[in-house]
Amino acid sequence: MLGGGGKSSSSSTTAAAAGGTWVSTTSVSASGRRIQREMSELNADPPPHCSAAPKGDNLFHWVATVIGPPGTPYQGGIFFLDITFPSDYPFQPPKVVFKTRIYHCNVDAAGNLSLDILKDSWSPALTITKVLTAIRAIFTNPDPYTPLISGVARLYLADKAKHDEIAAEWTLRFAK
Amino acid sequence: MAREESKISPEDSQQPNSAAGNSQNVDDLFSPRFKSAAAMAGWDEEALIIASLVVEDTPDRQQSKHRKRSGLTFNTPPCSNSRRKRRIQRRSIVSTPIAPLNLEEEEDQQQISKQENEKESMEEKTSVEDEKKAKVNEPAPLHCMDKLREELSCAICLEICYEPSTTPCGHSFCKKCLRSAADKCGKRCPKCRQLISNGRSCTVNTVLWNTIQLLFPKEVEARKAAGREIECQGRESGSRSSSSSRRTRTRARVQDPALAARLQREDLAQLVNTNTNTTRRGTPVRGRRENDLSRLVSAGRRRRGTPGQDEDAAIALRLQREEFMEAFRGGSGQNNQQVRIPLSSARANLRAMATRAINRGRPV
Repeated sequence: MLGGGGKSSSSSTTAAAAGGTWVSTTSVSASGRRIQREMSELNADPPPHCSAAPKGDNLFHWVATVIGPPGTPYQGGIFFLDITFPSDYPFQPPKVVFKTRIYHCNVDAAGNLSLDILKDSWSPALTITKVLTAIRAIFTNPDPYTPLISGVARLYLADKAKHDEIAAEWTLRFAK
Repeated sequence: MAREESKISPEDSQQPNSAAGNSQNVDDLFSPRFKSAAAMAGWDEEALIIASLVVEDTPDRQQSKHRKRSGLTFNTPPCSNSRRKRRIQRRSIVSTPIAPLNLEEEEDQQQISKQENEKESMEEKTSVEDEKKAKVNEPAPLHCMDKLREELSCAICLEICYEPSTTPCGHSFCKKCLRSAADKCGKRCPKCRQLISNGRSCTVNTVLWNTIQLLFPKEVEARKAAGREIECQGRESGSRSSSSSRRTRTRARVQDPALAARLQREDLAQLVNTNTNTTRRGTPVRGRRENDLSRLVSAGRRRRGTPGQDEDAAIALRLQREEFMEAFRGGSGQNNQQVRIPLSSARANLRAMATRAINRGRPV
């Protein structure tokens, strides 16, 4: 159900992109070229359990999926992410937002994500592949010490079994 | 063959002479320096005479006595090789420096022209040049090219490093990339986050840059051409970003095709101007570089060709721009064609994943 929602939203933005923002794809700037390169590398050698591609014709707006790693309460869930590249991309981190609800102390209700490499520790040598790998890593190892939702973090620290149970339930409800 | 015979006959006639007046011969054959060197090597006079005979044997002694003597000091032990063998060795010495990467081509040719006499040198030169041309034309058959490409590409722009600059921690990036990384992301190495003392004073790693130019000449050329375009775009992007904010507010006005076409035309004029400027400005720099890289003759040759190429690039860019304008007038769709092909496949992949997700969701 949720997947269907994501799809329709992506097609609507495709239409919007075709209307207004095509300029960014044709006049290929340095950032556009870098994004294109990353795209071709992603297509040639996709990272395991992840995928990412531009939403429409706008190179600077991508949608990505991460499959919940086995052995975690998120196992089997497919999580959709929205990636927006800034215009000076490799020098500024991309904005990554979860489109699928997830019970995780580092992801808030709006889908915002607290990940150090997407904020202060961003480096222009990082790529989307690495970002997705990092996101998969916080599925297996949540960071309860810099939480976005402190309640979830507290539960994770106090009663991991309960936390995992709720997370698995959410995964079943929203991500499958 | 005929040449060899003609050489041998005067030598044969000379040999008895030299055998007769040996002490005198030794005196005018060998410089005092050589004699002292020979004494240090423990040669007696007999050995010297034998050496003198061998020296006389060598074909073009008459033309270049001095060089032969100084050369002898290196080639000292006049072993009992046959004449022909020695000649083959000599010739092979001349032809060995034809390195696969054809460095030092110019030097080789100079040496050859000095050492060989007219006909021979002409023949050799042409053959050498033919060989070299063949080598230039055929792409270097390196099976590790992909790995090299990966290794020599910049982590910031993901392309082959253009004018690579190396950080104190040993990581190399394009000079421009490193500079903007230092400006925008702080003075830390993008790869290992070590402090870079001063990102602004980056210098080009010459060895690496030369290597890259030799290994990926096409990419470097393409990048050079693109660099000019980016420069222009960088200049126009200032105006464009301000206009883009306007665009979001009053989209209808900016989407007016006439206005956009006018903007494009201005860009075009600017572009052509800057291109002619760079060609004019570029020449002295090019000359200086050529001095620096006089050993990298292959690269140098390419550079000598560039003034014409610059103009070509300018024309190509202009044509591209015109096409762009046409497409803009005709409708935005056509232009994205090339970008769309990979895009559409990627999108198809995603759709497939999404539908799979839905299907998997249903039975549950």
